[in-house]
Amino acid sequence: MSLAIPNGLDNSVEQPGQRAPLVLGDTTYHDITESVCQVAERKPSTSWVIGFLVSFALLQWLTVCILYLIYTGVGVWGNRAPIFWGWPIVNFVFWVGIGHAGTLISAILFLFRQEWRTSINRAAEAMTIFAVACAGTFPGIHVGRAWLAYWLAPYPSLNLWMWPQFRSPLLWDVFAVSTYGTVSLLFWYMGMVPDLATFRDRSKNKFRRMAYGILSLGWSGSSRHWMRYEKAYALLAAFAAPLVLSVHTIVSFDFAVSQVPGWHTTIFPPYFVAGAIFSGFAMVLTLMIPARKMLGLEKLITIRHLDNMCKIILATGSIVGLAYGTEFFIAWYGQVQEEKFAFLNRAFGPYWWAYWTMISCNVISPQLFWIKKFRTTPWIIVIISIFVNIGMWFERFVIVITSLSRDYLPSAWAYFSPTWVDWSMLIGSFGLFFTLFLLFCRLMPVINMAETKSTLAKQYHMSHSDEH
Amino acid sequence: MSDNNEKKVHGIVAEYESVDSLLNACRRVRDAGYKKTDAYTPFPVHGIDKALGIKPTVLPWIVLGCGLTGTVTALVMQIWMNSIDYPYIISGKPYISLPAFIPVAFELTVLFSSFGAFFGMWALNGLPRFSNPLFTDPRFDRVTDDRFFLYVDASDESYDEKAVREIYEQTGGEHINSVLDDDSSDKIPKPIFMAWGLVIAASVIPLLIVLKMRVTNSDQPRFHIFYDMDFSPAKDAQQGSTLFADGRAMRPDVPGTVARGDSNYDMNFMTGVDMDKLSAIDAPRAERLVRLSNGPIGPQDQDSTPAAEEGEQAANDSDSASGEAAKDTTPWLTSNPLGNSKEVLLQGEKYFGIYCSVCHGMNGGGNGLVNRRAQKILSPTWIPPSSLHQESLYSDQYPDGKLFSTISNGIRKMPGYAAQIKAEDRWAIVAYVRALQLSRNASIDLIPQSQRAEILEMQEAVQQKLLEEAEAEQQTQEAAAQE
Amino acid sequence: MSEHATPNVKPADDPAFQLPASLGSLSIPLIIGGLVLLGAGWGIANNIHARFGMSVYLTAFIYCISIAVGCLFFVMLQHLCRAGWSVVVRRIAENIMLMVIPMGILFLPIIGSLLFGEGVLYRWDDPNHAVENHLPISIWAEKTRWLNSSWFTVRAVLYFGIWSALALFYYRGSIQQDATGDKAITDKLQYWSGPAIMMFCGATAFAAFDWVMSLAPMWFSTMFGVYVFAGSVLSAHCIISVSVYLLQKRGAIQDEVTVEHYHDLGKYMFGFVFFWTYIAFSQFLLIWYGNIPEETHWFYERQEGTWGKIALILIFFHWMLPFAGLMSRHIRRNPKLVFAWAIYLLILHFVDIYWMIMPESAAAGGHASTGGGLGIASSLLCVLGMFLFMIGMVLKIAKQKAVIAVHDPRLQESIAFENM
Repeated sequence: MSLAIPNGLDNSVEQPGQRAPLVLGDTTYHDITESVCQVAERKPSTSWVIGFLVSFALLQWLTVCILYLIYTGVGVWGNRAPIFWGWPIVNFVFWVGIGHAGTLISAILFLFRQEWRTSINRAAEAMTIFAVACAGTFPGIHVGRAWLAYWLAPYPSLNLWMWPQFRSPLLWDVFAVSTYGTVSLLFWYMGMVPDLATFRDRSKNKFRRMAYGILSLGWSGSSRHWMRYEKAYALLAAFAAPLVLSVHTIVSFDFAVSQVPGWHTTIFPPYFVAGAIFSGFAMVLTLMIPARKMLGLEKLITIRHLDNMCKIILATGSIVGLAYGTEFFIAWYGQVQEEKFAFLNRAFGPYWWAYWTMISCNVISPQLFWIKKFRTTPWIIVIISIFVNIGMWFERFVIVITSLSRDYLPSAWAYFSPTWVDWSMLIGSFGLFFTLFLLFCRLMPVINMAETKSTLAKQYHMSHSDEH
Repeated sequence: MSDNNEKKVHGIVAEYESVDSLLNACRRVRDAGYKKTDAYTPFPVHGIDKALGIKPTVLPWIVLGCGLTGTVTALVMQIWMNSIDYPYIISGKPYISLPAFIPVAFELTVLFSSFGAFFGMWALNGLPRFSNPLFTDPRFDRVTDDRFFLYVDASDESYDEKAVREIYEQTGGEHINSVLDDDSSDKIPKPIFMAWGLVIAASVIPLLIVLKMRVTNSDQPRFHIFYDMDFSPAKDAQQGSTLFADGRAMRPDVPGTVARGDSNYDMNFMTGVDMDKLSAIDAPRAERLVRLSNGPIGPQDQDSTPAAEEGEQAANDSDSASGEAAKDTTPWLTSNPLGNSKEVLLQGEKYFGIYCSVCHGMNGGGNGLVNRRAQKILSPTWIPPSSLHQESLYSDQYPDGKLFSTISNGIRKMPGYAAQIKAEDRWAIVAYVRALQLSRNASIDLIPQSQRAEILEMQEAVQQKLLEEAEAEQQTQEAAAQE
Repeated sequence: MSEHATPNVKPADDPAFQLPASLGSLSIPLIIGGLVLLGAGWGIANNIHARFGMSVYLTAFIYCISIAVGCLFFVMLQHLCRAGWSVVVRRIAENIMLMVIPMGILFLPIIGSLLFGEGVLYRWDDPNHAVENHLPISIWAEKTRWLNSSWFTVRAVLYFGIWSALALFYYRGSIQQDATGDKAITDKLQYWSGPAIMMFCGATAFAAFDWVMSLAPMWFSTMFGVYVFAGSVLSAHCIISVSVYLLQKRGAIQDEVTVEHYHDLGKYMFGFVFFWTYIAFSQFLLIWYGNIPEETHWFYERQEGTWGKIALILIFFHWMLPFAGLMSRHIRRNPKLVFAWAIYLLILHFVDIYWMIMPESAAAGGHASTGGGLGIASSLLCVLGMFLFMIGMVLKIAKQKAVIAVHDPRLQESIAFENM
């Protein structure tokens, strides 16, 4: 059952006509099971414990800040007229964007038959869900009276006797993000059931066996089940793919349907989607490269996987750059005074530093990925990915803050300064994200074993047929 | 309790090491005519449905149904909520704004379809099912790791254990075992049971608290988390304020400004007086009226009379006139500049209903809600509002212009309504009052020939009803008297 | 898995790889007939009035170039993604993408209308436009720095230069591989596909701004390039499906292209119908919701009268009907139905472009109209003529080489390809 692929082969090189392997080394089905299960079965490492404690502390700090905010009121933020959408919305859009890579990998790359997705989709999907959880926090508390946020739901209210306003893009957003969260969760969980069954069957103690037994719903690997499962998976993928596009499209509608100069531009939907995928992949890489090293998964998450993800970052980064350029061009071409001012103000106004941070991180830094050496050297990828994440945060900052700080009424112009609560909540949201992610690494199968095995089966079949 | 050795045999299972040998065995079993077969694999194996003869699933149809339900639900929900049940205009968009409803329609389509695919798949698979006879075989644990299993059910029509074993052996199957009934207890383990109970008990607590709150009274004042949200510091009409020198919270119009829409009419329209004639008779008064309607007088205009005084004077002049035989020489406008088209009357009806009917009553008889209340509590200071059906208020004795002036400036207890009602609407009220007055004196000749029969019929019906009511009342009174 | 035997690739000189003679002989008649129809249509349209004539010509031109450019994108994308499935149909797209070169010659009348007429087609070329429409002089001065005939011409040359260079590069590489079977050529084409697509995107977006969006000189939409691009890629997939079907009918590549490829082409058609709708809807929604007069007039004009009816046709027949029709896997796995839907979508692609361009065809001071029966007939004649001319040219090129990339290293993978 061994494969004739030498260890340490550079599978980022692909001979035309012969697909490079996606699982490296002398790997068997059982090896895949072992290497994925040992992550959850062995004792937590010191670095995991430290990481978890730090994240958990940050999460608690976020909780304290939220309670303080609710008790005191939204004045603790830096949001002042005319910048009513301050950091909370910047953070919201940032996190929603991060949450795009997972479902993109699991749905769109699935539909495009990109097999390299198999060993990274699980962790990326988990990240999606955790990022959406972080994202959902911000509009929830941004409504001011957070305990009445349920008014957004269309339920027959005896107190209000009226309905939410469906002609508002903010309500579309509620539906889009909650649908996205729900569908991503279903998708993630469904993909995990066969692997949870593996955990169940390997459990040594009764509690684990019972817990994973319940979670895996009595999965037995029956062919009939697999057939319906695959059909359902393909259907979910077919729905999740436009859903991914729709979510950031609708987030962009929040801005673009308004008349604020710099917000009202028709390229926003595709440009937001590209930006979201861009930042999502950057986050996946930022996390997966250390994780693959620490968890010992280099044979499954190979250089080829990293290379491909870098290429997607390069592609989406270039689309984002093109969109920046188009916006600038059309602001000049359209000759609408306010639009022209808005864009010049972005680049040369009081927030020039944010704008040029965004340009250098988002447009210039990913261009380094044209060079293959950079795409295949893990530590360089991590650095560039972190830059991309910073750049994408700044992109949202530029869009939200710069545009709002210069509205149509010059007497109301203002300069935004964040408060310590703003800072704490941004950092705290990372605490929430990492807490959930680290728990996931310990408790759930971090790599889709079933799919990776079927990739291996194909690889085996191919190398077999070559011998004939 | 059955004997352990005679446990029910569900079928027979064999273990295979590779996909190819499994597929081979599947085909053999299929060709031998077995229908109730299944293969168990750690990952989906392509081609196995053909090898075993598994039919495609109906799942796509379920999902299509769910998706369409989602679209329809979303559209109906949005149209009903925003356009029918609680319609209001927002940002100039029509009630039914289909483009704005598409995003939510799309999201719900996806959501419903996904639920359909997810739950439909588990339901079709008969999962969750925690007890499975196959799980009794410890080797079967490797089905989720690296081994492939083929199973033939004992209830298959052509089941023959020996023949199956033979196929298994020929195709390289190992560890060929009978699948026995799972004899472990089917009771839910105690810890799970208890945890479940605890969760249910805990989840009831919030509900109980809410219910308790609903049925008990408390004499404690309500806790206000945000005092200034519950009690807005913004001032109401007629409240005092320390912010302004004159102590009023309501601010008068800025001197020299004209409210939107008020500059469209001439002086006659704004005062109800024929100004040309007035200036010929009483020039100073005409001048005063002009100055008044050019805007409220600020405090710097010390020598002018405040608006209210002038208004009251005008009204009192006219009021006394009715008693003392034509002393009112004011040249009032005698016809309504708006005319009396149907639109004007409807407009007048609307504003009469809003502003006048509370005192004068919906029919102008002078017995509105406020009056009735005042009579009931025997208010000592109350002056009853006039009935608008007195002959002295008919247009020949009380010209339209004068009525307009009275509405604008007030009379006796009645305040002036110039500030609340636009001049155009005041004229519309005048027209409506005239219509009300006419209604008491109308004869059938005034009605177009074609509608007369209908009116007479209605009249008869009303009279009949009144008669019946009167009789009924009499009867009850008699009955009461007899007792 | 083991059920499928490794397919045998036929030798490069197999007759099934040559353009069937019955199709090849059509090339000269099509070229001549197409030019005649084009001339007739354009002549009739010019009789209605000059701007109408030029608009009809531009509609036909944009229709054909969008198909050619879409095929160019298709080819580059397959190289960028190292796609395996599409190798058997790639040569068809490669032949069509070469049409950007003859289309460059057909662009000359449009340049001519700028050089020899004042605002015959593009209003911004009319020196009196700003005064007649009471546009602020300062704004108009700034606008004409971009929209003036000489700079417009330079840009057009640049776009055609980029497209032609890319098309020739990819066509030559592929043809070279036919002869040598050198795998390094695939490597080279793949290596340059990234920068190539970036250049392509820039050229295409700006071409859409220049040629279509600037018909309404004061109107602007950042998404417009993407909108035109969406229709263009959709039509490319359609024409590939149609060509494959016709080739197979005439006996070529019958064993190579299987139902699996139709299934994939159908999926892409479905996907791009969705993408087109997504872009069109987003553009409409943002402008409709924002409700700013500078922007809404473009859609307002296209919702009135006949244009409004065409807009409804687009909603129901460019979105809903093909969306529902292509949803089922059974339809996408039926070559005949894929072929039918592809033809249908090619027609609707024309309606889309017609709706974009013709509402700007008003004569000075008048309202734009379809020009009645004669006007519509001339529009159809014109587009049909140009399209047939283009097909004739494609056949002329296709005759000379194999209709499939005979030595592509992934040919075998493509033939053996199976959907999930």
